[in-house]
Amino acid sequence: MSEIKVNFILNGRATTYVGEPRTTLLRALRAHGVTSVKRGCEEGECGTCTVLVDGVPMKSCMMLLPEVEGKSVITSEGLVGSNGELHPIQKAFIEEGAIQCGFCTPGMIMSVYALLNENPDPSDEDIKEALSGNLCRCTGYVSIIRAVKKAAAMMRE
Amino acid sequence: MKQTVTNSGVGKWVTRMYDAEKAAGTLKFVDDLEFGPSLLYAKAVRSAVPHGEIISIDKAEALKVSGVKEVIVGEDFPYRFGLYLKDRSPMAIKKVRYIGEPVALVVAESEEAAEEGALKVSVKYKELEAVFDPVKAATDNSVLVHPELGSYEHVDFITPQPGTNIANWFRVRRGDIDKAFKEADYIFEEAVTYPQIAHGFLEPHCCVCVQDPVSQEITIWTAGQSVFTTRDIIADALGLPLSKIRVIAPPIGGGFGGKAGMTIEALCLAAATHPNLKGRPIKLFISREEVMLSSWVRQGYVARIRMAVNKEGKILGIKNTFYFDTGISAEYGANPVRSAGYTSTGCYYIPNVWTDSYAVYTNKPFGGAYRGFGMPEFMSALEMAMDIVAHKMGMDPVEFRLKNLLKPGLPTCTGMPMHNHALETIVKKVAEGISINKEEPAKRNGWKRGKGIALAIKAPAMPADAASSATVEILGDGSVKVLAASMDMGQGVYTSFAQIASEELGIPIEKIKCYYPDTQSHPYDWQTVASRSCWSMGMALKLACEDARNQLIQLYSEYWQCDPSEITIEHGVVKCRKLGKAEPIDTKIQNGFKMPDGKYKGGPIIGRGHFVPPDVIYPDIETGQSPKSVVHFTVGAVGVDLEVDPHTGEIVVNKVVCGYDLGKAISPLNVRGQIEGGTVQGISAGIMEGMYYDDKGLLLTPSFTDYKIATIKDIPDEIQYFWEETPEEISPYGNRGVGEHSMISPAPAIGNALFNALKVRIHSYPFTRERVYKAIKQFDEKGNVDFWEYPFAREQDYKQAIKSWD
Repeated sequence: MSEIKVNFILNGRATTYVGEPRTTLLRALRAHGVTSVKRGCEEGECGTCTVLVDGVPMKSCMMLLPEVEGKSVITSEGLVGSNGELHPIQKAFIEEGAIQCGFCTPGMIMSVYALLNENPDPSDEDIKEALSGNLCRCTGYVSIIRAVKKAAAMMRE
Repeated sequence: MKQTVTNSGVGKWVTRMYDAEKAAGTLKFVDDLEFGPSLLYAKAVRSAVPHGEIISIDKAEALKVSGVKEVIVGEDFPYRFGLYLKDRSPMAIKKVRYIGEPVALVVAESEEAAEEGALKVSVKYKELEAVFDPVKAATDNSVLVHPELGSYEHVDFITPQPGTNIANWFRVRRGDIDKAFKEADYIFEEAVTYPQIAHGFLEPHCCVCVQDPVSQEITIWTAGQSVFTTRDIIADALGLPLSKIRVIAPPIGGGFGGKAGMTIEALCLAAATHPNLKGRPIKLFISREEVMLSSWVRQGYVARIRMAVNKEGKILGIKNTFYFDTGISAEYGANPVRSAGYTSTGCYYIPNVWTDSYAVYTNKPFGGAYRGFGMPEFMSALEMAMDIVAHKMGMDPVEFRLKNLLKPGLPTCTGMPMHNHALETIVKKVAEGISINKEEPAKRNGWKRGKGIALAIKAPAMPADAASSATVEILGDGSVKVLAASMDMGQGVYTSFAQIASEELGIPIEKIKCYYPDTQSHPYDWQTVASRSCWSMGMALKLACEDARNQLIQLYSEYWQCDPSEITIEHGVVKCRKLGKAEPIDTKIQNGFKMPDGKYKGGPIIGRGHFVPPDVIYPDIETGQSPKSVVHFTVGAVGVDLEVDPHTGEIVVNKVVCGYDLGKAISPLNVRGQIEGGTVQGISAGIMEGMYYDDKGLLLTPSFTDYKIATIKDIPDEIQYFWEETPEEISPYGNRGVGEHSMISPAPAIGNALFNALKVRIHSYPFTRERVYKAIKQFDEKGNVDFWEYPFAREQDYKQAIKSWD
């Protein structure tokens, strides 16, 4: 199959990927070493591959690479500061024990990031709504809700 | 006198190891590792019939796909694997036994080419009659899933029955069961079913295998819980020395038992050992659908429990029949059957016991280990039966349980005296926590509210000789390298280990690192299963730390010319208060100490420790009796306050209160994580999870759309948890396992609460909306309290169902 060039902004940097038009954004990112984006189902069900596309949380397994032409894509790696400083959401997840195996975590954190950008002080119901597309089998979500609230408080300060 | 001081030792609330990398997404799972351009990709072609002879496999079209290198079939790799029973080949040979069984493996230069090639392999079958109902398979031998069963190798403690579909038959014969039933004032007979369920870990199985074409050495990177057991199973099947197989387990994305033992590694090895492919790494990543279809599931379960009870509410005897639906392989599934068998009086003292626990082959995906290992299945039956009996006798369900409690010192059903525990306290706290006897109105208009309780118990279910070992190296800057080959699959065991090392060495946790398992570097550990790691590996690790600490203190006492007892290690600083000396651990610890006589002594300090349970004796095959059948039991209780919408069958859990006696919480943050996570996983199993098949054995629930697991919207409004700390005698810190236990009893507690809300008894798990609704309808229309749905039977009448097994 012929390959095409796709230009987009990845974690703030202009990027060009070359790939087949049938390649999903998930597989393209992973092939370029962006492995925070996990493949848990590749069917749009689990949310482990969630990224932000122009600020909107998207399941990257449900998008084709050419669809991000000219757009901005943010992944969990992109939230880390240049000297390795974690984002308040990432810190809150650690402090509240909201991470167990860590496989759902990067995708979950991207959904939280999108939520808190829109809504700096979410209620339990807001949090549940925003994270309902991200499965977690380890934590039972209880600690994740705690972490989101803590992150929101940290970010409001 | 304690010679170490730390702020991050045993029992401290510290954050977890590797969480920063997990939060950033930089931690590499197997699928994230780079192997360069020589990497090849494998994709399985899977059986489309549930039982059949393979007539032909046509590879020609697949080989024409650009990038396809090879198509491998079962005969190319004719080895049989298994942990307890060698009944599984990685690919079907001559015969398929379930829909989804690998029949060929396409290997290609890219994942896409392998996927495309797999679609082009065409297989012809001669279909055979299949059996899906475990009760039918157990009681009628017209279809044999494994006619060759008599020729399979197995360990001594399982008892396959050749000529039948029984892969294991575990028995308990204790006391005089006939007499108990003769003397009983009341006899009860109840049945319960539970379908197979899936682990639902979010990382699908993935492994990469390579064989060196000259040395023949095999290296495997795998998403596995059990590097050494994987190594040993493969070495045994292929006839290779252990030293020629290296298994590396990078972090895994959840396990819950589903990545224990050997899973897809042998299938990948069929490619890696192929003469045309040797030397090239082969990656096998199976899709979510393939995970659901072809990797381990929790066994389906059908139980009949008969109880003999006297007027005072004492249980005199219990007669159990358990059919575990193990699918086409019992290589691992033979053992949950034992676990349920040797715990078959639950948390109760019952003097007369007769239990038959069977692993039954059917033409379905295979059952293995899943969090709780036989106990969620059995306790879902027993705790419901206890509730039924209490209600029928007009007794308070809590009082009935307490009256029959397996108090410390009383014998379990295998004759082992029960150790100390705080179960009575826990049960009372849980009952009080949900105000079990207080009738409260539903919060939602038109809904009905109910409360229920269920007890939990589980021992580590493992061979008597499940051993652990660890090494601890103190590095030249006072940091510590811990090699303890337990797998941190999210439960947080490396944090616990670091806390143990910190406690024993007086070194802060920030300076301690536990490495993910690699059979090349790490000393042996059996497996990361059975809630055994903080206990068994904990024993080995504590000894290793003590060994390292003693070496350090010995060297310093000679170096400083003081008594060893005068030396302390405080927050990484070695001190002798008497001489006024204090210095941080430095390069002397690895290069040696220049002693007062000018000569050097010491060298790298490496502590070592090992452990095997010292006093477990396998239960007798005929009677199940043993002076000590298991190492210990962790007990607990779950209370559920829920409400249900009678118009839709929807259940919302208002509140869960649960408590466990775990001896000692090494890492409280992780204990909380295990309790919260397991509770939700148990609720999910109880309300929504089940694997269903059509009448041809095709899985109808192969994705997270059809196989629902709890989302964030499905959690209870409130989870209250607590733990008791009654110390365990043989244990590093008095601790017992707690990883699995929180999942055992939420489901039966929900069932009992549903009865309390609706006065309808649903004997078939899970309590889906549809089922709850149907049960309410049946009660309204026919007045039947008992509701029974069994996917493999036309007759769904509860009374008929339990009679039909005779």
